[in-house]
Amino acid sequence: MKKYHLVRRADSKIQRTLIYYAIGILVSLSICGILLLILGINPFQYYGKMLTIGLVGNRYGYKSIEGLLKVFVPLLITSLALSLSFKMRFWNIGGEGEFLIGAICASIVAFNSSGLPNFVTVVLMCLAAMLSSGIIGIAIAALKVRFNTNETLMTLMLNYIMLYVIRYIGDTKADWNFFLREDSERPIFGSFPESAVMKGIPLGKFTLLWSVIIAVLLTAIIFVYLKYTKQGFEVSVVGDSSATARYAGMNVGKIILRTMFISSALIGLAAALAVSSAGTISDTITNDVGWTGIIVAWLSKLSIPAVFVTSILISILQYGCQAAATQYPAIDVNFADLLQGIILFSVLVADFAANFRIVKKEEAKNV
Amino acid sequence: MEYAIELKNISKSFGPVAANKNINLSLAKGEILALLGENGSGKTTLMNMLSGIYMPDSGSIFIDGKRVQINSPEDSGKLGIGMVHQHFKLVERFTALENIRIGMRGEGRFLHGNEVRNKIENTASRFGFEIDLDKKVANMAVSEKQTLEILKVLCYGAKIIILDEPTAVLTVQEIDRLFNVLRRMKNEGHSIIIITHKLNEVMEISDRVTVLRHGDYIGTVNTKETNDKELTELMVGRKITLNIDRPVIEKTHPLLEIRDLTVKNDEGAIAVDHINFYIRGGEILGVAGIAGSGQKELCEAIAGLRKIEEGHMIHEGESIVGMSPKKILEHGISMSFIPEDRLGMGLAPSLSITDNMILKSYNDTKGIFVDRKSAREEAQKVIRKLEINTPSADTPVRRLSGGNVQKVLLGREIKSGPNVLITAYPVRGLDINSSYTIYDILNGEKKKGVGILFVGEDLDVMLSLCDKIMVICHGKLQGVVNSDHTTKEEIGLMMTGTLNIVNKEGKTDGIAKDSAFTDEEVKA
Amino acid sequence: MFEVFTLFLFNIIVYNIPLLYGTTGEIMIEKSGSLNLGVEGTMAIGAVAGYLAGAKTDSLLVACLVSFIASGLVGLLFSFLTVTLQANQNVTGLTITTFGVAFYYFIGNALSNSSAGWPKLSGTRLDAHSQAIHIPVLSDIPFIGKAVFSHGILVYLGVLIAILMWLYFKKTVPGLKLRAIGENPAAADSLGVNVALYKYTHIIIGSGIMGLGGLYMGLNMGGTFEGSNCWINGYGWISIALVIFANWSPAKALLGTLIFGFFNTLRVQNAALAYTFPDTMGWLTNIPSHFFSALPFIITLIVLITTSMSSKNKSGEPQAIGRNYYREDR
Repeated sequence: MKKYHLVRRADSKIQRTLIYYAIGILVSLSICGILLLILGINPFQYYGKMLTIGLVGNRYGYKSIEGLLKVFVPLLITSLALSLSFKMRFWNIGGEGEFLIGAICASIVAFNSSGLPNFVTVVLMCLAAMLSSGIIGIAIAALKVRFNTNETLMTLMLNYIMLYVIRYIGDTKADWNFFLREDSERPIFGSFPESAVMKGIPLGKFTLLWSVIIAVLLTAIIFVYLKYTKQGFEVSVVGDSSATARYAGMNVGKIILRTMFISSALIGLAAALAVSSAGTISDTITNDVGWTGIIVAWLSKLSIPAVFVTSILISILQYGCQAAATQYPAIDVNFADLLQGIILFSVLVADFAANFRIVKKEEAKNV
Repeated sequence: MEYAIELKNISKSFGPVAANKNINLSLAKGEILALLGENGSGKTTLMNMLSGIYMPDSGSIFIDGKRVQINSPEDSGKLGIGMVHQHFKLVERFTALENIRIGMRGEGRFLHGNEVRNKIENTASRFGFEIDLDKKVANMAVSEKQTLEILKVLCYGAKIIILDEPTAVLTVQEIDRLFNVLRRMKNEGHSIIIITHKLNEVMEISDRVTVLRHGDYIGTVNTKETNDKELTELMVGRKITLNIDRPVIEKTHPLLEIRDLTVKNDEGAIAVDHINFYIRGGEILGVAGIAGSGQKELCEAIAGLRKIEEGHMIHEGESIVGMSPKKILEHGISMSFIPEDRLGMGLAPSLSITDNMILKSYNDTKGIFVDRKSAREEAQKVIRKLEINTPSADTPVRRLSGGNVQKVLLGREIKSGPNVLITAYPVRGLDINSSYTIYDILNGEKKKGVGILFVGEDLDVMLSLCDKIMVICHGKLQGVVNSDHTTKEEIGLMMTGTLNIVNKEGKTDGIAKDSAFTDEEVKA
Repeated sequence: MFEVFTLFLFNIIVYNIPLLYGTTGEIMIEKSGSLNLGVEGTMAIGAVAGYLAGAKTDSLLVACLVSFIASGLVGLLFSFLTVTLQANQNVTGLTITTFGVAFYYFIGNALSNSSAGWPKLSGTRLDAHSQAIHIPVLSDIPFIGKAVFSHGILVYLGVLIAILMWLYFKKTVPGLKLRAIGENPAAADSLGVNVALYKYTHIIIGSGIMGLGGLYMGLNMGGTFEGSNCWINGYGWISIALVIFANWSPAKALLGTLIFGFFNTLRVQNAALAYTFPDTMGWLTNIPSHFFSALPFIITLIVLITTSMSSKNKSGEPQAIGRNYYREDR
């Protein structure tokens, strides 16, 4: 018989959670710091370089910010979208696939848009992406609601099917394939006509792309949606207890369908903004946001403001590794993934420590 | 005389609720002891201390005269105790043989060969079981599953077998068969405790009867020297006058009328069988019955959460059959059901009190936003009125104690101003004080002219609180009695199916004189 | 002409055995009721660790042991987080994949940039050629001998593991208890089965088996570190798909490996076949190779949906999969 027993803490203080999280992140940085030391790299210098994303002593510092934002925007929107479905306890891990569907459909609009005004084209791209991704989301939700098909595995398969679809498009020279450059013998994705490229507000040399503004607005909208609207309320109730939702007279199936549509459509939107900002499409256009978004959502405990902050931090981590790689060739961008993984493990442990305490069995019986 | 089991002064409480108070029980070798008591009298808790699921707070357990400590199901198994739980613990996709094999000790690591099979078959035939060992549990009928559970504990070498309400799910013929098996087990020298509240079965099968009531030990009698009447009296006790008000209000016409209602349960069996009843405004109609007699299905059917097979339900002259739960709610029928885990069906545990307050009404306001401002005000009003003990209206319901959780639920139900309030087990697991607050709330609603259907467990409470009590047994109506003109014994006999007074003195219970049903409707 | 078929059959086996390791390892884990999406990462870590240990010692046995232990440790991490700390299985598994693949790149880059450089296999006893064993009589059967009986020991080990695991589930008491946990942990618990211990051991062993698959890929697919493409190259994800396709049976996994392997090999060799048999197989060149790559996932998606539509009892999917088991106060 076990003498000790785990008991959930009655109160959850935000300070305690934050302190535990901070300790977790410090531990992760130290572990990776030791790895760096083994390679003969001063971890403080490396982390310094990484966290300043190459801004310090760089004449083209504004380029760094623009680059960072191009990483940040799709990650933020995707993480928001995934948080939405996770909040309903719907394990949509198909971010990659939904992103690719959106990217492909937005690109179809883009490649055929010459002559259209920029604003109209970008809006059409967004709509095409949101609709196509959203429909896939509904299809998955419908299978889950009707047949209880395992949504985790379904969306996982979707990711890889879509990956090969985009690779097929990218590798196939054919008359129908307007995605590729016509002037090249080798198959290369073409650039969008100027009408389909995301514009922004020039601030000196720096250009603040509209996509950034859209992403920030979207964060606010989703925050309000989840916290203050009736639909957001329904999402929380279904996620907390679907039996209760049913007893309260809610149409649980409809809520799941609607939320999955919104979640997938948002990922589609992220894709449209990403291709438009990049001015082209590629099979690495997702930049793994479908996967990283899951980690961001989880690190943030599905809280929207936290998703915003975590997305910035993870973007800095990823972009900072790219920036630092110029100076430290032995360490490539995958170091960010390594660090990210260790951080998540530490935070999972920290989260547990913040929410449970160990008590002796005798005490536990009266709880 | 040496006893197989002796329990001395066993007590166990869960938080403020005492489930067992100084209980004594003895089981002689080779006898069948019936453990009798109403729902919530502490029978299952007591037995779970023998099966190693709970540990007693105080008291001692003797097995074969030796004092023992039972810390886990494994300890219990080693002491030769086997329990057949009311909710079967079987792996659905395994065969009977595989299910038995999981817990079998000392038979090697391999499944090959027929030794184990032969052993099981020998045990089965010794006790007269007919069982197909290669049948998957998923394809088994309930009685077969139970047979398997009993066979399982026998194969593990149990000498003391505890059966928790084994007959609740069986047909008459199956019960006969089960009893034959029990007798054979007794002849083989096994000692058996059977938990039940069916008196006829107690009389038929047991040697002695131990009665519990409200967690207290009442007494033990020899079955041969007792009768139905005495047992009922022991079980329900003499009428205790509780200090619960029962204001007399002028009753209105029937608000909700139910005719010939038939509903199936999740397994597809008939759970509610052609029931008739009605509720008038300004009265509390109690529903008494043994657990699982169709109470849950009845509540869900009225609330529109469960499809009905047959029958009519009219509310203020309008049929509510086929309406969505939302529509029914808007009509003024509110239903709350406290399940055994007390949270699962009415409240969202991670959400705040405020959010739980508006679970059913959030959509009544205009616009796309939830109106939390007035919701919080309402929540605070309910918190004040019902004296809910909470740090604030934004505290998640999960953090509240049981009594406060139930007040939140009931507070929400009465807040919408229904004219029919259906409430099932509103005081489940509450201490005395919290219970009284709940009764006051219900009486307050009654005074406003609301018709209340109170599905309860405790007969004393129901006799004090309710104006009338309808008794159901196996989904069938046994009669509707006036609280002032009945006795606990009468209700007890009706609950156990011994007495049926639906058609007594030329009138039919459950059908109002001033019914809104027209003759054509009744015929159709 | 026969050579093309022989080579085709040979390649089906040699290139797809890692799927068998990944799949059987994952089946063992899923049978305990846990869904581990970290196959790709677990294989990557096993591959790097085993490869480096093997290259250092020039011993296949050491390589296998180190690979098994390294991946087993990853399994220990997964068990600790999901069984003891009750963390979400999907998130933990995905993070293991991110982490494991990044680990591969990190070590690979570090070594490639060091003075010693990335260790090569040529000239050691570990390269594919030296591993191949000649079985008397069997290897000499014309056509079949070359295709089926001329492989390295790891090929046969993979098949052996699948068969042993099948027997373990089917014929042994611990196997039965494990399946009971995957189906209904509460029932197994009530019968005195130590749920946590069973989950830990089987997740660790399953992860170790995946690691061997990773090692196999490291040894048999060139053995050079590539900075842009991880050795595992998506085989971990195909393995997860194959678990579903094989209906959670190690025996069917063997068959499924051959079927998925067939498409995989067709992708690589369709041109050779079309060239050798222009009349009968010329059409093969018209099918894009990406179609063959996507086929395992498409088939699995269809299997997943159709089985969920039909009766639930036919599927081998453990009923408690993906849900952590937490016994309330006891």
